[in-house]
Amino acid sequence: MALKYDTSDFRNGLKIELDNAPYVMTYFQFVKPGKGTAFTRTKLKNMLTGSVIERTFRTGEKVEAAEVEDQPMEYLYDDGEFYHFMNTETFDQVQILGTVIADEAKLLTENLKVTVLFYKNRAVSVSLPPFIQSEVVYTEPGQKGNTATGATKAAELACGATIQVPLFVNQGETLKVDTRTGEYVSRVKN
Amino acid sequence: MINAHRLRQRARILRALRRWFDDHGYLEVHTPAIVPAGAMEPYLEPVQVGAGQLHTSPEFAMKRVLAAGLGRIYQIGPCFRDEEVGAHHSLEFTMLEWYRVGAGTPELIDEVEALVGAAAEAVDLEAPTFRRVTTSALLADDGDPDSWFHRWVSEVEPTLTMPTIVTEYPAWQAALARVRGDVADRFEVYLGGLELANAFAEEPASSELRERAAAADIVRRAAGRQPHPVDHAFLDAVDHMPRCAGIAMGIDRLVMALTGAQDIAEVQARHPEFGVRLPPPDSG
Repeated sequence: MALKYDTSDFRNGLKIELDNAPYVMTYFQFVKPGKGTAFTRTKLKNMLTGSVIERTFRTGEKVEAAEVEDQPMEYLYDDGEFYHFMNTETFDQVQILGTVIADEAKLLTENLKVTVLFYKNRAVSVSLPPFIQSEVVYTEPGQKGNTATGATKAAELACGATIQVPLFVNQGETLKVDTRTGEYVSRVKN
Repeated sequence: MINAHRLRQRARILRALRRWFDDHGYLEVHTPAIVPAGAMEPYLEPVQVGAGQLHTSPEFAMKRVLAAGLGRIYQIGPCFRDEEVGAHHSLEFTMLEWYRVGAGTPELIDEVEALVGAAAEAVDLEAPTFRRVTTSALLADDGDPDSWFHRWVSEVEPTLTMPTIVTEYPAWQAALARVRGDVADRFEVYLGGLELANAFAEEPASSELRERAAAADIVRRAAGRQPHPVDHAFLDAVDHMPRCAGIAMGIDRLVMALTGAQDIAEVQARHPEFGVRLPPPDSG
């Protein structure tokens, strides 16, 4: 008997099985029309394809938990199509299609310690630590002392992401980035 | 969490609402929140307090005031609905309810537009223009409440992003509204994608309401719920009520829609550890 969740268990990050595929919940909201019964509206990301669907559940409706397993691994490299990870104890290597983990892939830096998710023994997804550090490979010259709140510019990072940063950030500096929002947090002293 | 900016905007909106009712001959009333029967509809769950319940809206008491001949009345105050917690729901919320005597839903729609316009101007917005649409133009009625509401929530409601007044509900969801043919003379107001208000041309016969209460009991028993207590003083008063139309509007949601707040907690001065999320029933 597979583990089941009902709508009161719903939270972001919950992994459920639907139509023979694993999904991760990225959004959920209680909704109740004034004269009607209660529902939970959700957005679910297919862990195999990366596509997002919307699904509305009746309150109390049960869904099966996706049978997924975590394994700590290290990011190695991408070959243009697949991203490669290694278990540093067993040296087992796995690959995941870049388009499936597009959001995470932009923030992967070499040797980053990540958690790889397996569904039916197949690596399907990756979760990153809350913060990563990456060097600025290109940005317009910095404006020293400009700390005007809200003013930002684009900065290209070594990991491949382009993020908005304050005007005082310079090329060559290392930045701390929040992986949950993909946003700039601070500069890191080298 | 206290959001000072949102609370100031809320106060400006409330001041504009009260001024509007003052200018239009409405009397403000306060009816007790603790009542013998907090609801009559099948899917509303009152909070129990001692031998009574907290009202889910002040409808029954205000109708007794109407039957006593006080004319146009309004009320702004807390209401309580158990099991309703989320970004757009709060167990305790603020309801504005008003009754226009001698009028039907068309006059009430005009008042909604004027009142919401006044509230918008209070926070330096232009008065919204509402489009009007019937439920049957949005969703075919298959007579099955479960599937109707499921499709309404998943397919229709997400499309109601522009200011909209939805009219002519299926007769089976008349609640306390008059029914003409197979249509309930009811409307709902959507603003900023939020279900903001519900209005009735009020059903004037207590015999009809007693039948609907009995039908609601059957629905509740089938769902394993206790039937609602019956408020006989209210039902007796209905037969003496003047012809009128009434509407209940969620004030927290009105403030959300006019200020862009994403969570109802932003517009309430809530205790940080209470009322934000209820624990699930068997979290053990």
